[in-house]
Amino acid sequence: MLISKSNRPLLLMIVGLAGWLVPGGGYFLLGWRKQAAIVSVTIVGTFCLGLYIGSIGVIDPVGGKLWYVLQIMFSPVVAVLGYITAGGGFAVFGRPGEIGQIYTSIAGLLNLLCIVNAVYLTHLSATQALGD
Amino acid sequence: MLRCVPFILAGFTAPMQIETNPQSMLWLLPLTAAIAIVYKATKMTTITARGFAKEAVVLFCSMVVVVVLIALFFCGLAWLVT
Repeated sequence: MLISKSNRPLLLMIVGLAGWLVPGGGYFLLGWRKQAAIVSVTIVGTFCLGLYIGSIGVIDPVGGKLWYVLQIMFSPVVAVLGYITAGGGFAVFGRPGEIGQIYTSIAGLLNLLCIVNAVYLTHLSATQALGD
Repeated sequence: MLRCVPFILAGFTAPMQIETNPQSMLWLLPLTAAIAIVYKATKMTTITARGFAKEAVVLFCSMVVVVVLIALFFCGLAWLVT
């Protein structure tokens, strides 16, 4: 990929956006296929397990705004699920609800960690390529 | 195979049955494993199956030991106070 000083911010944004759209997407663009596969499977698995434990009602953009902010770091898919669950039609209660919220929120935070790391690695490689 | 799909999807619309008891704390183990795996994937530049598994297991065990120690500390504190 051609890297110049003018397109470096765009490159960083593309890597960050790829990591948000699909967990592990940032590493995939960088050519780190093993990291991408491991991160993708683990984060998606954690998020799905959280939804299975607590039901998709744990994504609650109305009553659980703070949790929702953490959950949406996982992927834009959360916004779609939030739109579906906004009416409050899905049961969520007690210990399963708590565990589901924690799992989905941690999945979002883990994806944020991966996005930041992939963007940082892109910045480092761009800096080396440009000799800054 | 396709007959299972509606049942699997239905599982996502209702919560599981989990009691509020000490056993429910075991649900921290899969989460701890996920954190250890993702963290090690971000830190290791060269990944081999054996090396990665070893690093992830060491981190997982460290986290579990620290959580148990913190739990014991608070149990002791609660025992002293009450």
